[in-house]
Amino acid sequence: MNTETDKKHQPRYINPYFGGILLGLLLLATFFIAGRGLSASGAVKLGVVSVVNMIAPEHAANNPYYSKFIPADGSSPLYNWLIFGAIGTFFGGMLSGAIFGRLKKFRVEHSPKISAKTRLIAAGAGGILFGIGSQFGRGCSSGAALSGTASFSYGGLLVMLLMFGIGYVFAYFFRKLWI
Amino acid sequence: MKEELFVSGRNIPNIDPYLNIWHWQIPIYLYLGGLAAGIMFFAGYFTIMRKEKDMETTVKWAPFLVPGALVLGLFALFLDLKHQLYFWRLYTTIRLESPMSWGAWTLMIITPLSFVWVASYMKELFPKWDWKFDILNKAEALAIKYRKSMAWLMMLLAVVLGVYTGILLSAFNARPLWNTSVLGILFLTSGLSTGLAATMWMSKSKYERKVLSRLDLIMIGIELFLIIHMLMGFLAASEVQIEAAHLFLGGEFTVVFWVFVIILGLVFPAALEILELKGFHIPVWIPALLILIGGLVFRFVMVEAGQITRFLY
Repeated sequence: MNTETDKKHQPRYINPYFGGILLGLLLLATFFIAGRGLSASGAVKLGVVSVVNMIAPEHAANNPYYSKFIPADGSSPLYNWLIFGAIGTFFGGMLSGAIFGRLKKFRVEHSPKISAKTRLIAAGAGGILFGIGSQFGRGCSSGAALSGTASFSYGGLLVMLLMFGIGYVFAYFFRKLWI
Repeated sequence: MKEELFVSGRNIPNIDPYLNIWHWQIPIYLYLGGLAAGIMFFAGYFTIMRKEKDMETTVKWAPFLVPGALVLGLFALFLDLKHQLYFWRLYTTIRLESPMSWGAWTLMIITPLSFVWVASYMKELFPKWDWKFDILNKAEALAIKYRKSMAWLMMLLAVVLGVYTGILLSAFNARPLWNTSVLGILFLTSGLSTGLAATMWMSKSKYERKVLSRLDLIMIGIELFLIIHMLMGFLAASEVQIEAAHLFLGGEFTVVFWVFVIILGLVFPAALEILELKGFHIPVWIPALLILIGGLVFRFVMVEAGQITRFLY
């Protein structure tokens, strides 16, 4: 038995505190390089705006929400740092997964007490709520909580405190999805 | 919209201010031609090296993609032609100084050759296959007998085809971005790399994938070297070529070139391939797909950007 090879196949994670420090440094680097912080939901939002703009350009132009994200020079809403940030996050995550033995066959990770279907439904429902919430809060855990607090935004701080605070409260009710 | 005011000089539609004659058909054709050349080159190479058994996918299965790729590529080229009914005129002459003539004749030989190569393996791969006609059975026996000669011819023509996809552009001396001798060898290397990626994706054998992955890493290394060499060459040349290089160094193609061609199409898949060779589990389709997409984007970028570059007047 090759223990060395087996080790490489075991999923490994770094220390969460160290991970937090790295994330902070990454945020600093993002501000330094791109002039703006991190964002995740923003890329999805631009994807939605782009699709609406493609299918119904007049509606998108007249809609006060969509029109904010359509560039005046006629270029695609997707040609934005948020999209490239999301692409980088995807491939960076893939590289991290490969190095730390988490890149395996397609699978749905879930608690043994629930089925993959339940997990997917719960994840979908949570994702929808998170998407709606992120637009109320003008950003998600990356855009508002991380980047917002890093730039001393009061709104960002409020989003972070409420997001994680409410998360702790509701975790009790949905604990059976995990443990 | 960028407007340009002409106070003197020419104003020829689709030529001025920028060349606007080649659209999606040409990069697709160049890409499929390069892909076919890559697959055929290594099929021929491993046949000559007597590695048919170890490299079964490379020699026997991957070449099944070639006739389809060539036919589709030629169809795309046909769609691009202004006078489509006159395409056959390319075959009424041989002009050694014309890259198009070289390409037309190479394709005229390599396309049927790819069909014959695939046909020669039909019975071996599909034991129930029946050619039905005696003459076809005899032709198959002949093809099997001369397989090694075919492999040599295939390798040679694959190199010509791969280089031609680049020379087709570099022969345009009025387009500074294209007018570099690096382009022929760069397109060949890229074609070989995409051919290896497609074969690697198809292969089920660990040994074969390892060999192909190593070869692909070499190709990626050469490709990166050639791209740097090309850009440095431009920067050391005349003003028009410096302007051409700046399209990728801060100009409008910078993001798409560096993100999708260099990082995601070459460096990132190379990193994944290195990790796989070191024993990490990497699903083979990920680097293969990235290389294939990177190769396609590279051709689109080169064709699009090349048409924008021009001599000042």
